[in-house]
Amino acid sequence: MTRLKFLCDAERCIECNACATACKNEHEVPWGMVRRRVVTINDGGPDEKSIAVSCMHCTDAPCVAVCPTSTLYQTDLGVVLHDKDTCIGCGYCFYACPFGAPQFPEETLFGSRGKMDKCTYCAGGPEENGSEEEYSKYGRNRIAEGKLPICAEMCSTRALLAGDGEAIGEIFRERVIHRGYGSGAWGWKTAYYPEQET
Amino acid sequence: MTDQAHPNRGRDFTGYRIGGGVAALLLVIALGWQIFEIIDGDAMTVPETQWQVSDAPEGDAGQMSATEVLIARTQLMDERFQAGPSPEAEALKFAIGPGPHLDERPLEDGGRNIAEDWLLADAETLEMVRPSERVVGTSSLPYPNAEIFERPGGRDWRLGMADTVTHLGAVIILGFSLLLAMMLALRGRVPIAKGRSGRTVKRFGFLERANHWMTATSFIVLGLTGIVIAYGDTLIRPFGADLLGALGNVATWGHALFFPPFALGVLIMILLWTWRNLPAKEDARWLAKAGGFFSDDGNNPPAKKFNAGQKLVFWSAALGGIAMILTGVTLMFPYFWADLEVMTWVMLVHAVLATVLIGIFIGHIYIGTVGMQGAIWAMWNGKVDRNWAEEHHEFWVKELHERGELKQGG
Repeated sequence: MTRLKFLCDAERCIECNACATACKNEHEVPWGMVRRRVVTINDGGPDEKSIAVSCMHCTDAPCVAVCPTSTLYQTDLGVVLHDKDTCIGCGYCFYACPFGAPQFPEETLFGSRGKMDKCTYCAGGPEENGSEEEYSKYGRNRIAEGKLPICAEMCSTRALLAGDGEAIGEIFRERVIHRGYGSGAWGWKTAYYPEQET
Repeated sequence: MTDQAHPNRGRDFTGYRIGGGVAALLLVIALGWQIFEIIDGDAMTVPETQWQVSDAPEGDAGQMSATEVLIARTQLMDERFQAGPSPEAEALKFAIGPGPHLDERPLEDGGRNIAEDWLLADAETLEMVRPSERVVGTSSLPYPNAEIFERPGGRDWRLGMADTVTHLGAVIILGFSLLLAMMLALRGRVPIAKGRSGRTVKRFGFLERANHWMTATSFIVLGLTGIVIAYGDTLIRPFGADLLGALGNVATWGHALFFPPFALGVLIMILLWTWRNLPAKEDARWLAKAGGFFSDDGNNPPAKKFNAGQKLVFWSAALGGIAMILTGVTLMFPYFWADLEVMTWVMLVHAVLATVLIGIFIGHIYIGTVGMQGAIWAMWNGKVDRNWAEEHHEFWVKELHERGELKQGG
């Protein structure tokens, strides 16, 4: 059984924002929203780190739990998808999201915020896979084609890893052993192992 | 006038009492269910759909293929010297173009097992994960909150919102309704002990009544739309996710639409009634006797125009209304004065207060309609029966007498 995850190697991310750009382009994400962004920690300091972040497709996803209209749902691969037809723009998912993933076209009260948009792990939405309707609402469905998210597949430094959690974990661990240092898997505890003690 | 030897008794309203009993029975069931929801610990997000290779047989075989396809693709994430891109590299199955695709289908059962499996981590994985902590940096992207990388507090908010406040709010509303239904079933209505006199006293003017009903209508619409948003998943989703989406949309707009008349109504109410609702000496006695609610003799503790119970309702409307307006307006203008974390708390306060106020005003509606004989007319046509007024607002009637505003025959 696969469990799809994202993992950003903070030692490799160079804050080029290509992932955010490629994502916007691949999915025709409307003006005013980004599904993926890069956050820089300790900017300008000796321990500066950049991390690309989007929806992490959490285990026991809080956004799905708080959604009042059952717009959000999770698939057996761990991918959290949304249904734009039932979204009412209340913003609860944004309050519950540990990674600031849900985006809204407007910053106003609920109702006028518009339909929520978030990273789909390049897996479209509830419409028929690969259909015109799905593309116009959610962007490209790469998972249906057996591909992984474009942000990770085109990352020039391979900082951003996407795919089966065990496989990318293994790649990351080998990499850390090889180079001798690493700051760990950012966000994984909150996203995937909320009940685990570390 | 009713014969003094047989004063009206609350227990004689048999129809009302049967209705109360039926309502109480239904409420006990609903209340038990909501309490069970709080303690059953099943609040977990579980997968609802599964990916399979199209045209693959239902069941394990199809799922295995989807897994294989994606794991094979994940290997491409490895270092370039190991994973390409290289013209000599083996072409991937399912890479591009026509041919088999992965499809999503509804997952009938087993979702919970999958989700629980995900929570298990091996020692190697646990070694590489960083602890949960709030991480804020900077971002070159110009979007609100883009600089927040991680806020584990989101999970706490989910616990507060979805698992606690929702069911606790339901318990408040249902529990209060249950108390009232039991009251109606066991005690009956509060009667006009001496019966109707046939003469009336003017209690509320047109402005007071018009404003009361504007505020009341807005409050009920705000309450119902809020309930669609808070409890639609339980109450409406069984009739279809699309219906829930459509009603939810109406509810969000309705909630915003009925805010201005509500706010205006609360404001006018405060201007009209505050000075008559300031605490007074007789209030303590009234409260100590529970307003004479449980006795049928009509010898209730005396009160001026508003008794202590009515004062409490007024202050709930005034203070509760202001709190709801302030929290609501905060939510209408994101990040104007409150940042994301403050807004999440404001949202919780708004939700908790809403359920408390709904509970209080169910009580207010109860006592104004089925709970007390003759009470509805105060707000309906503004004129109450003289005997009702004397039994519940002795000082007020005396005051009217002294001012000569009380004509014989009403």
